[in-house]
Parts: sequence; C-alpha cells; structure tokens
Amino acid sequence: MFFIPGPVIALLTFPGIIVHETAHLFFCKLFKIPVHNVCFFRFGNPAGFVIHEKTDNFTALFFISLGPFVGNTLLCVIFCTAAFLPVWELKVFDPLAYFFYWLGLSIGMHAFPSTGDLSNLWAMAPQRAKGGNLLAIVSLPLVAVLYVLNFARVVWADLGYGIAVGVLGPIALFRALARA
Amino acid sequence: MQDNSICARCGAYSGDKAGHPIVGQIPLCTNCAPQVPNWPYPAWLKAALVALLLLLVVALVNGRKYFHAGRTMYVGERLVQEGHYAQALPYLQETLRIAPESDKAVLLAAKAALLSGDFEAADKAIQGHNAGHFDDANDRDFREMRAIWDRATGAMEKANQAGKLAQQDGHAAEAARLMHQAAAIYPESRDLAITAEAFDESTAFEARDYDGFLAIAEKRWKEYPGSETAGVVASALACKYAVTGNPAFKQQSEEMLEASRKAAGADPESQKSFQEYAERIRYRLDTRQIISKSEYDRRFRGGQDTSK
Repeated sequence: MFFIPGPVIALLTFPGIIVHETAHLFFCKLFKIPVHNVCFFRFGNPAGFVIHEKTDNFTALFFISLGPFVGNTLLCVIFCTAAFLPVWELKVFDPLAYFFYWLGLSIGMHAFPSTGDLSNLWAMAPQRAKGGNLLAIVSLPLVAVLYVLNFARVVWADLGYGIAVGVLGPIALFRALARA
Repeated sequence: MQDNSICARCGAYSGDKAGHPIVGQIPLCTNCAPQVPNWPYPAWLKAALVALLLLLVVALVNGRKYFHAGRTMYVGERLVQEGHYAQALPYLQETLRIAPESDKAVLLAAKAALLSGDFEAADKAIQGHNAGHFDDANDRDFREMRAIWDRATGAMEKANQAGKLAQQDGHAAEAARLMHQAAAIYPESRDLAITAEAFDESTAFEARDYDGFLAIAEKRWKEYPGSETAGVVASALACKYAVTGNPAFKQQSEEMLEASRKAAGADPESQKSFQEYAERIRYRLDTRQIISKSEYDRRFRGGQDTSK
C-alpha cells in the first residue's frame, strides 16, 4: 500500500470534485433547499463542499446526498466508454482517448458521498423506513455499503470503484452490443 | 440566544439591534440573503459544463472509429468462440485495419485464419503486430495461437520440401508422401489437401499408372472444376491415347483441353498456364510419346522451366 497526500490526489482528480459538488448544488436548487456556502475545489480537507440548510424532506436529502454518486458514476461510464476501446482493447495510442480516460476515472473516483452526507441520511432513514418510505428502505443498505466503502478509501476503494466502473462498465456495454 | 446582528455567511455587522433578516433559520445580510435561497451557478462552472459537453461530443466522435473496430472485434471473438472461424476472419481483419497493434485482435485474427486454413492471412496479422513480437509470451491466448501456428508452419515446411521434390523427375511418390503428411498435420488447410491429391496424380503419372492418373484427375475435376483440373484430365486422357491408340481418348482429351481453355477465361495467369500445358498435351496427342515436363522443357524449350 502506498500513500499519496490528499491535496495531490485532489489536484490530479479535480474534475471529479467539481462534478461532485455541482451535483450536490444541483439537487439543493432542484428541491429549493437554501445553500449557505459552496466550494467547488480547494487544497484542504474536504477538497470541496456544499453547506445547505437542514431539511426534513427525506426525498430531497436522499438526492442531495446520493446525487453525486449517481451523477459521477454515469459521467465516468460515459467518458471511459468513449476511451475504453483505444486504451484497453485496441492498444491505439490516441492522446485524446487517454485524456478522456483520465477525466472519466477522475470523476468516477469522487462518486462516493462523504461520511457527512451519509450520516444525515443514515440518521433519518430508519424512522422514514418504518413509515414505509420506499427511498428510505432502499437507502439503508446502500448507505451502509457506501459507509464501508468510504472508510475503505484509505485502501484506494474510491480509485478501485472508478476503475471498476470505467473498465467493467464499457466491457459489459460492448459485449452486450456485440450480441445485439 | 441567536445574535442576528452578524451575517451567518460573511460576518457583516448590521449596525443596529434589529439585526439582519432571518432567511430559513439564520441571519443574512442584504448581500448574502438573495444568494442563499437560490445559489447561482458561477459563470466559470457554466462554461466548464459547456466545455464538458463539448468534450463529450468530441469523445464520442473521436471514438466512433474505435466503436466500429471494437464492435467488429467482439463479433469476431464471439464467432471464434462458436467455431465459425472463416466467418470471424473478415470482422477481425476489419478491426486490425484500425488497430493493428491490438494483441487481442491480432491473436483472434491469427487463430481464426489458422483454423480456417488461411495461413497467409494469419502470417499477415502476426507480422503486422510489431513484426510478430508479443510482450506476454505466457498469455493463454498467445500460447494457444502459438501452438496452432507451430503446427501450421511445420506443415508448410513439409509442403515446401514436397514442392521442391516435385520439381525433380523420379521423386513424385516421395513428394506426394510429404504433401500428405503436411495435409494431415494441418487438416484445416484445404489448399494442402488439394495439392496432396494433385501430387497423387504426378505419382501415378511417374509410375505409368495412367488409369490411376485418369481416375484421380477426373475425381479432382468433379470436386474442383476449373481450367487446371480440366487440363490434367486432358493430360491423363492423352496418356491413355498414347498407350492404347484409341481415338476416343484423343477426342475426349481435345474436348477437355477446350474446356480448360474456356475455363481459363481472360485471366492472364490462367491463360499463360493453359498455353504451357496445352502445348505439351498436343505434342503427346500428335506423337503418342509420353514425356515429363522437364524432358519436354529440355527438348523443346532450351531446358527452361516455363512454369510459374
């Protein structure tokens, strides 16, 4: 296992941080949750944040917390799919393809919601789940898994997730297309 | 108790006891208050979003040729897995047109070519990949292809030896034996099997077994009708005429020679080949003398080999 300082990782993967915070902001605005402050990128911990007002609306909280997970994952798949074939399968040296792969992996690496996002959701979910809220029921196992993965960031789980999405996603897609 | 005279965002002091207005649950100054309920996207972020979308379009346009190459490779891979090697080859060759350095595509193309009997296509695919060099010699796919390649090259070496022997009078049987061995080692090659049968004709000719020669020639002509096979039947019938004097054989030989001429069509190579053996067959029909090609060349062509 090797250690790379957080600011270096943040710098190398800054597009992912910006996309992550933009997704938080997008859902705050969508659900009309007041936003107190936004930082899209900085050399610090956390490297980006969106401070918004607390809400009792579980749907809003669900999308604000997990929006980046879905958004970053989708963008990771799209950019990596565009670059997957020349980089991995065809062994064509195309600088543009390598750029897109870096972009895709950078975005995918920052898909995990922060423990702060997950804590809010985790605190509200059990009570709402008891009330039959479908999103709350779905979010319980998802948040649990993401919580564990978040702690596993010290062993590069975020990079592992990015690579898994950026490699396995396109493989599955192209194999399905070949059978179509 | 909350102090409403300090803005929760920027810390600005309101300057009076009334304090800042409360937005949501916190005091905000007049500058910050409009932002909080509807935080604007910064201009640079909007520009970055546009740039990201443009990049996405560029990525997809740039990747179009790769999508095509990738699709043909995956289709080819599936056909190889299903054992449809000849069908897979054009797909994999299309992939190699765009990505000749792709280990996976080259190995699949070489495997498909070798197992469909197309040795030349396999050789071309391998040589097009870094002059035949592969980084990982322990790769399972590489080792599988290498085993087939070694088998095929072994067969080709025997076929070459057989070809050289066939050029010399008196070695037809040995040449045919080697060619059959080559065809057995590499049964996927239709060309080797066909050539082995053609060598059987030479063996029968050299052994003066003209009935055997005619039987094999007729069988080959039925299986692979063409100028060359029709010419060999004409040659065998000419031999039968030479030894029996039966004019029916002469007539049949001339008919087959005409069929051979027609089948040669306008192709210059086929025409040249036809002219070469037609001259010898006519000599055989005119003189009833059976001589080998090398003897004919020695007597009438100044010893020059006119064949390809």
